Amino acid sequence: MTKGISKAELKRRDVLRAMAVGGAGAIVGPTFLARPARAAGRTIKIGFVSPETGPIAAFGEADDFILAGVRKVLANGITIAGTQHPVTIIKKDSQSNPNRAAEVTAELINSDKVDLMLGSSTSDTTNPVSDQCELNGVPCITSDAPWQAWFFGRKGDPKKGFDWTYHFFWGVDTISTVFCDLWSSLDTNKTVGALWSNDPDGIALSDPQTGFPPLMKKRGFNLVDLGLYPTMSDDFSAQINKLKEAKVDILTGVFVPPAFATFWTQAAQQGFRPKIATPAKALLFPSAIEAIGDRGIGLSTEVWWSPHHPFKSGLTGETPQQFCDAYSAATGRQWTQPIGFKHAILEVACDVLKRTKKIDDPGSIRDAIAATDYTTIVGPINFAKGPVKNVATTPLVGGQWKKGSKYKYDLAIVNNKMEPSIPLDGKFEPLAS
Amino acid sequence: MDPNFTVERGTTASRRFAVLGGVLVVALATLPFWGDTASMRLIAEMATYLALAQLWNLLAGYAGLVSVGQQAFVGLGGYALFVMCGWYGIHPLLAIPLAGIVSAALSLPIAFIVFRLRGAQFAVGTWVVAEICQLLIALMSSLGAGSGQSLTPAIVRTVAASKADRDMIFYWCSLGIALIVLGLVYALLRSRHGLALTAIRDSEQASRSVGVDTFRTKLLTYVVVAFATGGVGALIFLQKLRISPAAGFSLNDWTVVVIFMVVIGGIGTIEGPIVGLVIYFVLRQLLADYGSWYLIVMGCVAVFFMLRARDGIWGWIAQRWQLHLFPLRRNFRRGGP
Repeated sequence: MTKGISKAELKRRDVLRAMAVGGAGAIVGPTFLARPARAAGRTIKIGFVSPETGPIAAFGEADDFILAGVRKVLANGITIAGTQHPVTIIKKDSQSNPNRAAEVTAELINSDKVDLMLGSSTSDTTNPVSDQCELNGVPCITSDAPWQAWFFGRKGDPKKGFDWTYHFFWGVDTISTVFCDLWSSLDTNKTVGALWSNDPDGIALSDPQTGFPPLMKKRGFNLVDLGLYPTMSDDFSAQINKLKEAKVDILTGVFVPPAFATFWTQAAQQGFRPKIATPAKALLFPSAIEAIGDRGIGLSTEVWWSPHHPFKSGLTGETPQQFCDAYSAATGRQWTQPIGFKHAILEVACDVLKRTKKIDDPGSIRDAIAATDYTTIVGPINFAKGPVKNVATTPLVGGQWKKGSKYKYDLAIVNNKMEPSIPLDGKFEPLAS
Repeated sequence: MDPNFTVERGTTASRRFAVLGGVLVVALATLPFWGDTASMRLIAEMATYLALAQLWNLLAGYAGLVSVGQQAFVGLGGYALFVMCGWYGIHPLLAIPLAGIVSAALSLPIAFIVFRLRGAQFAVGTWVVAEICQLLIALMSSLGAGSGQSLTPAIVRTVAASKADRDMIFYWCSLGIALIVLGLVYALLRSRHGLALTAIRDSEQASRSVGVDTFRTKLLTYVVVAFATGGVGALIFLQKLRISPAAGFSLNDWTVVVIFMVVIGGIGTIEGPIVGLVIYFVLRQLLADYGSWYLIVMGCVAVFFMLRARDGIWGWIAQRWQLHLFPLRRNFRRGGP
């Protein structure tokens, strides 16, 4: 609250100062009369690329709500190096399609001439957006894809990093640790069965050197690796047989939601019932659990963000709970994890612009991104402290879907070993047999 | 027969159009000197789609090869460029025609499989082949498997160091490819092969009975189209900077959209794809920001044309006013030359 007052006061002072300058100008000469009372700079343009239609449209379903909120805050523009600049955010739909993502990014660079590019939600959007910006020298921030898929998927060299593109999210190492923490908290035979989708996330996570398998071994789990399956696969009977034969207690891997729904149905038909099932990426949205029904209760997943995260928006001062409540009130929908990150990426953009010294120099905007040290609604973002150059990591905890009270199913945080500041709101339980 | 007949192809309209077309080409070629990067980018994208549309039209509209698997060659061309540039350090601009050759070479064994099929089976067969290509590449971890790979800025900068120069070179490449394809299709259709192709289009049985080697003519067309499609694919992904199996072998992006243009514009004419191209881009610029509605409107337009105007817009214009801007027909005129 105090911050708000000081901001308002600052603005008032700016106005007074500008008026004084204007007044002085009026005395000095008539040419100055044409100047507005407040020194107003050119419009700053931010490009915002996100999947709003197509197979992963769920990630972008809150875009309009989030943009409306940020635009309201930015109604008076941003003060950059003492000058008030109006800000426009230009939203483009990547249609869940990497070709379209590259195309709209090029359009934002060439036609709209954006000053800062933002891209989010899965590597099919973040990677093409970043590649275009890297080549064309446009400052770019992306989020919401495991950082290894973004960094190594674009042939990043940890020593050199990238010149123009930055990314914040958790990584393969983080999710592996969270999953192992979850599984260690229950009594099992420690045999893990894994199926990986043949897409950027599945490949990054299944990597025998840099992925999940080495950590499982280190933590004493015995891995039955069933390898990569085609992303659009609709028959898992062969894999389910192998899982049954190996007496797997813990199921994991990477699935898109429809593929997991198919897998889980077939698993039930063939009588495969592990004690724990923790598929990555498949169970982020309530709609994914609703598609499975009550058989989805007890499934566990990674949680990147929730209404109970102990952070606050640096832009609006809202807590995650207030933010989610406002979202539900405005749209009638249950909160989802990406909405926090969509808000956060815009927060970081505003913070970067405020700290930029020379707005007409892309290099100056880039330097401001590199120097980011800012706490968003999803946690602190600092690119200097990342695991590799150009990357900042955000915290991750383990969650489990439970029977809901207000909504049909609720996602409860059941393991916070990696980030104890995030409160637990449930106990991890084995799947009903 | 009266010896005082001459055969001619050009009409007054086509000669006037040739002059106009020449002016338009010069205007477009000099665009980098008077236009902005945004319009260059748009024209370049339109040019690549014009090339794809003309190529598909040559296949489906003339050779009777209704392929819904042309994305196979776009993807193979794109991957060929990434491999040549990324692994062997070949200059990207040289890699474009080489990618065409790779794609043409691969089209031969594919042709021997799919040419055993007819009509609807051929269409499905080509689609299956494209899906197989996508799945095979998704299995190759050296090519990035399902996640694909990026072209590093260092490689792309060998084309030209500055963005402005690159924009210009890519623009001319796209425009060049479109003009080459247009010229190639036009020349091919005016040649003996063109006559054979038109005959096959109208009736394969009848053309065989008058001595057209239908298999050779169709094979030649298929391979030439694969070559050019591969080159276009290479140029497309050189600009997209990133390729993945889903992106490279996208049925929607590289075949459905192209079929849309050709069907709306008028299949079996050279003018048709050009008209269809303009309509598609106008609709896209107007509707792209409306999410799913954009696709729904596009679908309705396509359904309307398929039900109500099967010859497309140009088919209707050509019939109504006997207008042929790229004259392929032979007209008889009384009197000596």
